[in-house]
Amino acid sequence: MRKFFSNPAVREGLRVLIAVSSALLLGFIVTLFVSEDPLGAYKAFLLGPVSKFNRFGDWIEESITLIFVGLSVAIAFKANLFSMGTEGQLLLGALVSGSIALFVPLPAILRIPLAIIAAMVAGFIWGWIPGYLKAYLDANEIVSTLMLNAIALKLYDYFLIFHIKPPDAGYNSSDFFPKEGTLMSFIPNLPFLKGVYTLFSDKTNITIMLYILIIAVIAAYYLIYRTPFGYKLRMIGANIKFARYGGINTKRTIILVFAISGIFGGLAGAHLTMGIHTKLIANISVGMGFEGIVVSILARNNPLLIPFTGLAYGYLRAGANVMERASDMSREMVFVIQALIILFVTAERFLPTIQKRIEMRKENNTHMEKLAPSDGGSHEV
Amino acid sequence: MKFDLVLKGIFSAMFLASIMRISTPLILPALGGLITELAGAINIALEGIMLTSAFTGVVVSAFTQNIWLGVLAGIAAGVLFSAILAYFHLYLETDIILAGIALNIMATGGTIFLLYILTGDKGNSSTLASGMVPVVEIPFIKDIPFFGTILSGHNIFVYAAIVLTFLTYIMLYNTKFGIHLRAVGENPTAATSLGIPVRSIKFTSILISGFLASLGGLNLSMAYLSLFQREMTAGRGFIALAAVYLGGRRPWGTFLAAILFGAADALSNQFGTLDIPSQWVQMIPYVITILALVIYALRRKAQITEQTKRFQERELAKVNNNNNA
Repeated sequence: MRKFFSNPAVREGLRVLIAVSSALLLGFIVTLFVSEDPLGAYKAFLLGPVSKFNRFGDWIEESITLIFVGLSVAIAFKANLFSMGTEGQLLLGALVSGSIALFVPLPAILRIPLAIIAAMVAGFIWGWIPGYLKAYLDANEIVSTLMLNAIALKLYDYFLIFHIKPPDAGYNSSDFFPKEGTLMSFIPNLPFLKGVYTLFSDKTNITIMLYILIIAVIAAYYLIYRTPFGYKLRMIGANIKFARYGGINTKRTIILVFAISGIFGGLAGAHLTMGIHTKLIANISVGMGFEGIVVSILARNNPLLIPFTGLAYGYLRAGANVMERASDMSREMVFVIQALIILFVTAERFLPTIQKRIEMRKENNTHMEKLAPSDGGSHEV
Repeated sequence: MKFDLVLKGIFSAMFLASIMRISTPLILPALGGLITELAGAINIALEGIMLTSAFTGVVVSAFTQNIWLGVLAGIAAGVLFSAILAYFHLYLETDIILAGIALNIMATGGTIFLLYILTGDKGNSSTLASGMVPVVEIPFIKDIPFFGTILSGHNIFVYAAIVLTFLTYIMLYNTKFGIHLRAVGENPTAATSLGIPVRSIKFTSILISGFLASLGGLNLSMAYLSLFQREMTAGRGFIALAAVYLGGRRPWGTFLAAILFGAADALSNQFGTLDIPSQWVQMIPYVITILALVIYALRRKAQITEQTKRFQERELAKVNNNNNA
């Protein structure tokens, strides 16, 4: 039992579990005071996403976006580069892929790959800029990426309002994409899968983006942990001066880190337009980039853990929507719960007593182990 | 013809006065951002602090029917909110950027949540009869043509922004606390070794930035508008951070940078009557900020090479002198 608790992974898991449950508990206490049917409201919040098939779809769709933006952030943060630029990359990815989906007259088999690749390129370029500024001019990446986000948002609005939306439309959104520009359901439309196909394609918008996402997760993991580039990236994250001293071309690596992080941001944008909304809308992303930071940090910037934190975070958001529809509670209450979770999980000294006690115990043990053989040795002499 | 009108509009005293009014909710949080930036604790939560204060001010002034109680409560809420940031960052060792993001999410959600409970509306607080701070005419100055219109007849926050920029300057460069604060930001280890209480100075700097940001928030809901709107800060907390950098991390520089952002905003409204898309005009300050980052970096690079060169020359001269002797 002791060994079980001294395992750092278990300890970390326990910490997260306690953090999440205390945040949920605080949320429940608030609900008790505010709601006329607190139990019903909380039940809708906690079980909502799995209570109906279309809600399940909402949850997965939301999570796919969150995981993409999480991966984007993880790559930069792993190198200790605090890029906030995912939001802008997402917006431009959405703009570019959406325009191609709308206007390029190609069959679906060519149009969709072209749109997705274009989104990746857009993200790559929009990530390259702050990377260059950081690498060659040592410009603060937080400020430069925030500015680029604002610029991307203005570009997005400009093209949407002045060039993309139908000229006589009273609303700020494009037409729906034609069938050739919409992502197909992740279940292939084959005769023997007919039933499953209609179920999923009628009730949900889970598309082939799911497969691209799985590839992206594995690719991000391989890139960070199994390639020379990833090694350089992690070295820069650990100690940039040491990395430079060790002969790593830090400038080139930093630029690439930002740019590659942008690819995933662009993919998130393509998913939002061609998968979920199937048109370009104003305010397509409200702070998604920041949500990505949260998803990545909760996963300790590890690409293999990001799907789990993304799904968990998406679950909270989807549950919040269900709760709002099913009860008198507003979904914004869940924002507060999310914030508490972030604060508790990222506080290094949250629950220090538990950690300290375990650490002390562990230290004692290793101390004893160290002492034992050396004592034995002295006897032999 | 149309263009004429727009030009006339731009160079009118009314327009310049409106720039002052639009800039104030940027100047105040920017000063807060400057102080934390110089103390080495980047405050991403300015946005959240502003929202919290804007909301609290409106609610308290509506329920007590006293403007000044509302202002006081708004300030208290903002400072308290920034204290959470400081506590988590300095005592629980949370990364300050993440804590800032978390607090922004909390403020956005929390204000809408409470607004809904109090008014049954998620959009704005128009059903609450909240107060507005008074507009002040400055005697004598208000009678000067042109300048009178620009300088006089603003709400108290506009004057507060100017006075507080001056006070921030004095505090940072002419007081012991300010010198300690900048030392902490420059090199916390060195500051510690000199016996400067790094943690408490950072804590105080975050509280001061909370105070300044809360004034910015109150300005939005009790002067600029007379109600609270959801997400009414609309990214001003982040623009304020940019103003700090654009202003070269100095009080008056930050002040002017914030005015530049405000001017671009005001201009884009004016250009709305022409066929220039407002997006292009609104983009200008962000592009300028990036350019300013670049120029700042290049200048610093040049300074460093210059310093190394001088140092080498000096050392060389010393060596030569020794050899001659």
